[in-house]
Amino acid sequence: MRDLIRRFPAILLGLGLSVGASGAFATTVPNLVEVPYLKPAVKAGKIPPIEERVPEDVDVFDMKAWGKMPGKYGGQLKFLMGKQKDTKMMMVYGYARLIAYDHKLNFVPDILKRFEVKEQREFTFYLRKGHKWSDGHPFTAEDFRYYWEEMANNKEIARKGLPTALLVNGEGPVFQILDETTIRYTWAQPNPNFIPWIARPRPLLLYRPAHYLKQFHAKYSDAEKLNAIARKENKQNWGQLHGDRDRWYRMDNPGRPTLQPWYNSVKPPSERFVFKRNPYYHRVDEKGQQLPYINDVVINLGATSMVPARTGSGEADLQARYLRFDHFTFLKESENRYDFAVRLWRKARGSQIALFPNMNAKDEVWRKLFRDVRFRRALSVGINRPEINQVIYYGLAKESQNTVLEESPLYKDQYRTAWTEFDLKTANKLLDKIGLTERDDEGTRLLPDGRPAVITIETAGESTEQTDVLELVRDSWRRIGIKLLSKPSQREVFRQRIYSGETIMSVWSGASNGIPTPLMSPQEFTPSSKLQLQWPQWGHYIQSGGKSGAAPDLPSVKLLVDKNKAWFRATDVETKRELWHEILTNHADNVYIIGLVNATKQPIVIHKKLRNIPDEGVYNWHPGAYFGIYRPATFWFATDGAGKK
Amino acid sequence: MLEYLVRRILIMIPTLLAISLIVFLIIELPPGDYLESYISELQAQGEEVDQKHIEFLREQYGFDKPIMTRYWEWITGMVVGDFGFSFEYRLPVSEVVGDRLFLTILVSMVTIIFTWIIAFPIGLYSATHQYSWGDYGLTFIGLLGLATPNFLLALIMLYFANVVFGTSIGGLMDPEYIDQPWSWAKVVSVIEHLWIPVVVIGTSGTAGMIRRLRANMLDELQKQYVTTARAKGLPPLRLLLKYPLRNAINFFIADIGSLLPNIISGAELVAVVLSLPTTGPVLIAALQSQDMYLAGSFLMFLASLTVIGVLVSDILLAWLDPRIRLAGGAAK
Repeated sequence: MRDLIRRFPAILLGLGLSVGASGAFATTVPNLVEVPYLKPAVKAGKIPPIEERVPEDVDVFDMKAWGKMPGKYGGQLKFLMGKQKDTKMMMVYGYARLIAYDHKLNFVPDILKRFEVKEQREFTFYLRKGHKWSDGHPFTAEDFRYYWEEMANNKEIARKGLPTALLVNGEGPVFQILDETTIRYTWAQPNPNFIPWIARPRPLLLYRPAHYLKQFHAKYSDAEKLNAIARKENKQNWGQLHGDRDRWYRMDNPGRPTLQPWYNSVKPPSERFVFKRNPYYHRVDEKGQQLPYINDVVINLGATSMVPARTGSGEADLQARYLRFDHFTFLKESENRYDFAVRLWRKARGSQIALFPNMNAKDEVWRKLFRDVRFRRALSVGINRPEINQVIYYGLAKESQNTVLEESPLYKDQYRTAWTEFDLKTANKLLDKIGLTERDDEGTRLLPDGRPAVITIETAGESTEQTDVLELVRDSWRRIGIKLLSKPSQREVFRQRIYSGETIMSVWSGASNGIPTPLMSPQEFTPSSKLQLQWPQWGHYIQSGGKSGAAPDLPSVKLLVDKNKAWFRATDVETKRELWHEILTNHADNVYIIGLVNATKQPIVIHKKLRNIPDEGVYNWHPGAYFGIYRPATFWFATDGAGKK
Repeated sequence: MLEYLVRRILIMIPTLLAISLIVFLIIELPPGDYLESYISELQAQGEEVDQKHIEFLREQYGFDKPIMTRYWEWITGMVVGDFGFSFEYRLPVSEVVGDRLFLTILVSMVTIIFTWIIAFPIGLYSATHQYSWGDYGLTFIGLLGLATPNFLLALIMLYFANVVFGTSIGGLMDPEYIDQPWSWAKVVSVIEHLWIPVVVIGTSGTAGMIRRLRANMLDELQKQYVTTARAKGLPPLRLLLKYPLRNAINFFIADIGSLLPNIISGAELVAVVLSLPTTGPVLIAALQSQDMYLAGSFLMFLASLTVIGVLVSDILLAWLDPRIRLAGGAAK
């Protein structure tokens, strides 16, 4: 699996390149086999037979290329979730996107039959003929027009204008319908983030079920009546009512049709959601069986703290959410009592735990120190990473900077190892050079203004893992004359305090995407958002186009901003790759964020009879959509009965 | 009596207004709002946060309005039965709470009855057999129940119920019955799950009730009318139930005031541990995520029930016990 992900293909999104359906070798459509589960409905005339349900140019899934095997219809897959809004995980796991990542991190058409990209600014999408929504209504260019004209450009619905992903230098695309199944988006400048956004776990959704939503749109229905309904439901106007009925991400409105492999059948609020197979899903296997194989996906809600215990008593068929590494031994113990196996997948964060010196701190002395690269390097080499790895992660993690992982085609050893060797001598030397030579009775160095060098690291206050790691950091930092205090704060105030500069250092996880390809945006490694804990003000400045925050004034950081801009404009993969490497080198050298370990493990509980799910995998949000990238629609149970004993 | 009633009901209005103001202010007090915790949650998972979407939500949820405006909208809405909107559920508050009300009342009622059935005989026995082995033994067990942390007991019982009886962990029924129409199998499943919360929540209440009943009974048993009745040869059990017990249960009637809100909110902590589909966990989650209208309306609901409960128990007391006079309470 690791090799599959590492092998990075060069075909991506080149100039004027057209990418065909995932069965790129034009497999002939096999004889279709009716789904037993749907036979009664077909017989009763409620839905048409399979031949009329799947699109004319149905996608034949190439099991062999994915290392999978064709399966059998049937069964029920159970998940445990915590909150009401966790129904969104079915949008993530279902992972039907216009364009999606395949298991090698290529962009492949999924809902689309094919797509063409010209100069990274003209995107032409070809839909499948005869593709239908889960209620049987045709899915056509009209659904794209509806989103573009009636939603994205409607003041009542999109009050804040177009979503960021559709804007290039503040300008939106030109939208064209070429025919019933062909649409085109054209920007004046390249928009390299367009396709990655479409393929994200929480995608940029360019289409909506127009036939369903029109009844809630003032243009197509009586606005007065809609407003009256809205008021009755505690909503301000019809725009909110429309948004409520849409709820494409939470997927909890049973009435709203979808293109995902499973649709929700239960009206919220509930403690149990049953997702039923979409009879119109656009994909079959080579034997002519329509995907998904599994009939129902059941989500049982409950206290998140009880999820490990419930999983351990066999209540889930596939579970990773709310399981942590420290539950592994408990789960392993109950493996034999129930029909499940516990696997360890790799997480793909740039760093599982990272320290963020706040370069926009209010305290002048600290701000100056944090902006001094020697200080950051000293702090980094003053940490005993192997010890942290052994003590907290049983040696299963990797000591690393906050950077890309081995699975990424951009990986280089030096990015991982730069300034990570535990070396007290170098650390002390660096600190002496900065001029922090005075010490107090306890051996803590004194700051230029005479205060002892006490760094208070604020945590979001919810994970003991973080505080455990900080304990170990404290021990080694003491030996370089830096005192560490950790202070739990609340989620709500955590970010505010960092943004306002009251917090001098915080702890959080590193880059959320540790397995990028050159075509994914490097913005996480450059100032781009006010939520970045190491330079919130600079991030905000770039994000707001200079309207708020503060302009970056560190030369190396300014360079990052330029490189990111250059990446955005570049249209060929090689330039993009080079820019990525420049950014990563800059990062490794400057240690803006002090990463500790990465490639930590995520326990995954898998029912013993569940097939087509790898034993080893990457568990990541983006790219990955957790299980989504492994295509849950292809999972199947080796025998019927879904693990009922 | 009527005048007293009217006066009491009128006093309830300013009381509830004051409570609503306090509730709202306390929920508003911590820095940050629901959207801040929402952003953090997205970030923790690595989800992207579109600042535009957040701004849109901020406007939609009315966070951009001044606090007094929001308070006014909330409080006036409540008068016409509109309890506001839950951000977390994206549903009106009444739907969120209403959905869970039935099972909550079921758990609470069964628990209360369980407590009474256990506590009354033991309390009577302990009082009549003061300082006997039985008194010590039962009191010990009762106090043990009071002293054991509920959530710990809940976890232990869950474990045994799962390992020994194979009951699914948490919840009030096996998952496949949720949202299904009532059937015999569903009732059985509910009973299988119900006893754990009932016993866990019940044990803590039992001890308190035993001790209070015992103390009140002991007061009464010393009195002369008891001695007289005994001297006249009244059968001991009849004597006990007819005279001292009736005098001793005033505290019990007075408890109704606090009982009413308890029925609705239940034991939150235990409910969270056992993941019961009751209202308790909803309230806790709402407070944690600053889902303010859900939390606020819920607390207001509890406050109203307390106020009503106190009134009901006062009236009941006056009606049951002729020694209690209305005038004393109203004069001040």
